[in-house]
Amino acid sequence: MMERLFVAGLSHHTAPLAVREQLALDEDKLREIVSDLAGRGTCAEIMILSTCNRVEVYGVADVPGEARSVAFRQMGAQRGIGLPTLEPLLYTHGGVEAVQHAFRVASSLDSMVLGEPQILGQVKDAFALAQACRTVGPVLHSLMSQAFAVAKRVRTDTEVGRHAVSVSFAAVELARKIFGGLGGRSVLLVGAGEMGELAARHLVEEGTLPVYVANRTWARAESLARDLAGTAVPFEELLPVLAQVDIVITSTAAPEPIIRAAEVERVLHARRGRPLFLIDIAVPRNVEPAVNALDGVFVYDVDDLRSVVEANLRERQRQAQRAEALVEREVTKFAARLRDLEVVPTIVSLREKLEEIRRAEVARALARLPGADPATREALEALSQGLINKVLHGPTVKLRDSSRAGHHRRWIEFISELFGLHPRGGAGREP
Amino acid sequence: MNAVVFDVALTAYILAAVAALSSLIWRRDDLGRAARVLTLAGWICHTAAVALRGVELGRPPVLTLAEVVSVVIWVAVLVDLVVERRYGITAFGAFLLPVVLALGLGLPTGLRDLALEPQASSAWILVHVALVLVGLAALVLNFGSALMYVLQERQLKAKRPGVFYYRMPSLQTLDRLTLVTLTVAFPFLTVGLGLGVVRAGRAWGRDLVLDPLALFSIVMWLVYAATLSGRVVGRWGGRRAAYFAIVGFCVLLATLGAGVIFQGRHGS
Repeated sequence: MMERLFVAGLSHHTAPLAVREQLALDEDKLREIVSDLAGRGTCAEIMILSTCNRVEVYGVADVPGEARSVAFRQMGAQRGIGLPTLEPLLYTHGGVEAVQHAFRVASSLDSMVLGEPQILGQVKDAFALAQACRTVGPVLHSLMSQAFAVAKRVRTDTEVGRHAVSVSFAAVELARKIFGGLGGRSVLLVGAGEMGELAARHLVEEGTLPVYVANRTWARAESLARDLAGTAVPFEELLPVLAQVDIVITSTAAPEPIIRAAEVERVLHARRGRPLFLIDIAVPRNVEPAVNALDGVFVYDVDDLRSVVEANLRERQRQAQRAEALVEREVTKFAARLRDLEVVPTIVSLREKLEEIRRAEVARALARLPGADPATREALEALSQGLINKVLHGPTVKLRDSSRAGHHRRWIEFISELFGLHPRGGAGREP
Repeated sequence: MNAVVFDVALTAYILAAVAALSSLIWRRDDLGRAARVLTLAGWICHTAAVALRGVELGRPPVLTLAEVVSVVIWVAVLVDLVVERRYGITAFGAFLLPVVLALGLGLPTGLRDLALEPQASSAWILVHVALVLVGLAALVLNFGSALMYVLQERQLKAKRPGVFYYRMPSLQTLDRLTLVTLTVAFPFLTVGLGLGVVRAGRAWGRDLVLDPLALFSIVMWLVYAATLSGRVVGRWGGRRAAYFAIVGFCVLLATLGAGVIFQGRHGS
């Protein structure tokens, strides 16, 4: 079962965007291809994950290479890309490696932006689509449910997705490092640059209140203030506002600093030691660098925010190492479970077979005892049940043990031969 | 017996400190949990050790400097446990436990034999010691949070996120903690030391100014008084307040050191 599991595809690691964007297919097309592959019997189970960074086929097939070729020939055909063009970009993982790949992808360890949260949803969507097409069998089902569980654990147990990796979110994160909760912190937005507005919006979403907006053009200040549910303040009266607010975002096109150290120092006393966080997104800078030296005042310009983002990415990388170890452990556990799963059909059909015999024999015996009272019938049932349970015990234990040791194939064959079984699932093809 | 139990407690504190620091540096939550369990275990042993000593000696175990320091640690660790649980400041132990250890490891050596004059063990002295004790415990925490503030502030100013940035609470949380611990410590310290001065002034007369522990205590009180008034009246920023808290704690350590090295009237 494990040996027939495979994943084949291309991703941002192997294929350029020009190819990936060509292969991005809509849902209807995916549904068609998935159903077709399952229908013609190339794959026993199949699911296709298609995002802007990867196109991957997860499946169970006797000949994974064939399934891979058919799938990608069909996908490429939509946009006129021949299989020879795609072939060198494709990778294939089988068995345990496929399990590991699935876990890593769902946990966002294989993503372009390490730890980004979207991929898990995309995998879930792909799984749901395959389920709707009825191309999911026991292997993909247990693989994906486990992949979702692992992804969740990676997210909660490591910090691989925790630190901001965009400039505007880095600003929010810094504000939290300075103030703790952001609810009720006041914000002053100076200028109407796009990035400044974006950062202000993120802050407002975190519950900052009230918001003040200052702009050289009064009308622009008013309209932006309306947008952010804030108050417009005259550009000339920045200082009194500076004494009150907690966070200042500047993004004006002024050629030289509009907030100077001497001015900020003057309002510090009125601030009673409350920290002040200035986010200067303007280039050239709107805040004099010397302001950062003042006690309790923090100034971050665009470069500073970028270096925080870089540090956060490095931090995610560190956390990813722990996540990889976690995934590794889960893969081992899952492989063992999958092997267990392989012996289950044999055990089930062995039990069914004996049960069949038992029922027939009990019926025969009762036919010969027409006057049997309920107590006798019960005793017969119990006797026969006990008998088959005793007989079943040995083979069942043997099968489970052999699966753990990895040589269950031989035993499945042996026991099937011995009892004349035709187990469903397992080595056979799914209906 | 109490010495053995105390050593067990101290060992648990050492392990807890190592675990807490490792959890901070390598950002491992599981080590943080281990640190909290070890801290709690250490504290329970410590409680037993203090109680046993009291029972063995048949008197409150706060009459020698060593006993006082031990109880200061006991209170500080208790507050650490509460702070970590209530406020979720898991990095606190990493800063507090080393301080606790620095104090605790001194106990078996120099501090042990220092005792108050037997005739001085009156109710007055007990109140004096108890008040100063609570004050000192709060100041240990004050130092821990001030140190964390300074480190976090430096990292934020330098704009290079590192260990502290990723693991420590926000600046305002630390600032509030520093202020609260100082505000709690100061009245206890003031009344406790005041009682001591009044009482010793009567008993020792002019010898009071020759007692190093008393002298250093007064210097320490002045530093903390300056810090508190700076914050309340002068509206100091967090950084200056934190630096003063650290200076204050250095004087506190010097005070204890002076108590050990120079045997003034406090010594026997």
